[in-house]
Amino acid sequence: MNLQNKKIKTVVIVGGGIAGWLTAGRLAADHKSSNDNGLKVVLVESPNVPIIGVGEGTWPTMRSTLIALGISETDFIRECDASFKQGAKFAKWVDASQNDFYYHPLVLPQGFTQTDMAGHWLQRQQQEESFSNAVCYQEAICEQGLAPKTIRTPEYGAIANYAYHLDSAKFAVFLQKHCTTKLGVTHVLADVTQINSGENGDIASVTTKQKGVIAGDLFVDCTGFSSLLLGQHYNVPFKPCDDILFIDTALAVQVPYDNEDDEIASHTISTAQEAGWIWDIGLQHRRGVGYVYSSKYSSEAQARERLKEYVGDKIASLTIRKIPIKSGHRSHFWQNNCVAVGLSAGFLEPLEASALVLVEMSAQMISQQLPQTREIMDVTAKRFNDTFLYRWGKIIDFLKLHYILSTRDDNAFWTDNRNPKTIPQSLQELMKLWRYRAPADHDFASNNEVFPAASYQYVLYGMGYKSDYSHTPYVLDDNAFAQSQFDKNKSMKAQAITNLPRNRELLNKIKRYGFSTI
Amino acid sequence: MTKLVAIDSKAHKNLIINTDKCASHAEHLNLIPVVVAELDQVALQQAIVFVKNQETGAFTLSALMGFEQTENLFYQQNQWQGIYLPLQVQRQPFFVGDTQSNQSQYSICINLDSTAIENDANLTDSNNLKSLFTTEGKDSDYFVQIKQCLGYLLQGELDNEKLIESLLSLDLMQTVSLDVTFCNGKKIALKGLYTIDKEKLAALSAEHIVKLHQQQLLPAIYTIIFSLGQIYPLIERKNALLNNTNDNV
Repeated sequence: MNLQNKKIKTVVIVGGGIAGWLTAGRLAADHKSSNDNGLKVVLVESPNVPIIGVGEGTWPTMRSTLIALGISETDFIRECDASFKQGAKFAKWVDASQNDFYYHPLVLPQGFTQTDMAGHWLQRQQQEESFSNAVCYQEAICEQGLAPKTIRTPEYGAIANYAYHLDSAKFAVFLQKHCTTKLGVTHVLADVTQINSGENGDIASVTTKQKGVIAGDLFVDCTGFSSLLLGQHYNVPFKPCDDILFIDTALAVQVPYDNEDDEIASHTISTAQEAGWIWDIGLQHRRGVGYVYSSKYSSEAQARERLKEYVGDKIASLTIRKIPIKSGHRSHFWQNNCVAVGLSAGFLEPLEASALVLVEMSAQMISQQLPQTREIMDVTAKRFNDTFLYRWGKIIDFLKLHYILSTRDDNAFWTDNRNPKTIPQSLQELMKLWRYRAPADHDFASNNEVFPAASYQYVLYGMGYKSDYSHTPYVLDDNAFAQSQFDKNKSMKAQAITNLPRNRELLNKIKRYGFSTI
Repeated sequence: MTKLVAIDSKAHKNLIINTDKCASHAEHLNLIPVVVAELDQVALQQAIVFVKNQETGAFTLSALMGFEQTENLFYQQNQWQGIYLPLQVQRQPFFVGDTQSNQSQYSICINLDSTAIENDANLTDSNNLKSLFTTEGKDSDYFVQIKQCLGYLLQGELDNEKLIESLLSLDLMQTVSLDVTFCNGKKIALKGLYTIDKEKLAALSAEHIVKLHQQQLLPAIYTIIFSLGQIYPLIERKNALLNNTNDNV
């Protein structure tokens, strides 16, 4: 048989973390693996390698991913210790003063698609209201500790757009159960000992210690940092970006709540420190807290001290896990019949929760574009690589944006971050565009952009950047309309605050009663 | 806050209820909970819809009485204007309470703040004035009727649950969305109401239909579907009221 006409009938996923199971689940659901004529999806997982729990924050995309997998939101929230996330609060990023904070919410600015609300807001700055507060009701919801919906809102339905915080270890177990019992994914617990090449350089099969040889037509590398297939077997080089994003170490700790009914923040809190920032993610039963910093600008002892200041004295009884971080990604992600998803493809500091969303986007594209024959795969691979190189680049730009607008000078970490030599050309170009106007949709080339223009607006104007509209004042002529949108936001804010329950209260209700599907 | 106390044949020997005033408890309810057993009567005038309980999100069965949260278009000029008074209102001002000693035993409580309680000791039984106990200390006919009513409601809760569970398991629930413009130009969008999806019901397999038949749920299902049309007379009722108010001005 001509190898080029070989049909793609079996996908072998190596690695069983969230990346592995989300990819397996997406493929199995879309390609009917539970039917006899469906795609065969095999997930090979070592019984010995522990799962690295990356990022406990997701994007709102996770809702559509879970829907696509046929998962009940109630089950997911109950079993994964999940809670709601309505964006991120960035504290002390601008000048580290007491009231220095801004929000990157998940709801688009009011009137965003109709007029240049950012421009109008810049004109009205004497009002002393933050950009996100003036155009979006979500900051107020978060500040008051409220949930994005009520117990009467159907599963996955939202009053305010939301994502999740979740316990990644529990999520992996949950996905495994769902994929194997509902979606027809074959689960093989075995250590891969050898990768066997076919004649054209494709991977023909993997040999395992416990379960013999497992053959496949497409191999998905979800082996984490070890990047067993793409990195080690194919030697696809790793492109570090530590010259742009300096973070190289994380100190992570799980902080229990003091009381059972302590408030649960419905947003990620990211507090800038002398050489990085601390994440704070509220789950149902604990908070996940961690300091990501650059070891070039802070000793480990100093970093532990910052973390202790943040968490408080109770940190003495908690276990701090140190995780080295290598910022960057592979030079490409799909080689021959092997594609990497998750940490095997790359990693960036979790400033905007990009890890899981990249997994979802990868799984979605692989599934939607799944080549029918080997011949088509090279086209798919090229398109996949182009798409994801673009996406990684955009995420790097967007993360860097958070650093270059800071005025902090308490450590060279911050001043070096603003050194133009460390700022990608692509970001410098965007900043040039935004000197005279707000970020707009056409600033970005992709029709499936990772971060929409609104996200750039929230960061840019949240951090006090001022675009100068003096060359084109006429674009802000529709003053009355803009005012009606600011007013509308005010009334929506008041309404949301009256109607929404406390975040903890809703989570308790979900445990007791659950959501209905309609 | 309402003050509930358990009925006691000694303590409440002389209590008189003015049944004309019982319906006033429904004055500000735009949704009155109803049970399967009374749907035929309710459907004569009101749309029967499902709404979600604010506390639990669970579906409940209710009759739609008005368009604003505290508007009952069937209670006007201090009296009930409808043909049928739902059990939930009939039983006012009485409630079922769990006795603390025995969970399986229910006790009957009264809301002492109810305006239906007459405090004039000189009143005696008449058409609309009822005592709870006979001079011998036995339950009066009126009180027996109230107990029956509360019994229907307890059973009704179970019937409702059975119906709702079946509808959800067959994915037959559907949201009602209706934009209404009243004669004064005011617009409202009806929200948070649910009904039964006719098309999905029609597409059910014979097996599922037979099961609904065996569970004796089909009459309730068709009554609920039919009753939805009562929203239109309700709009007329509201328009008529708006016109009257205008005339008076």
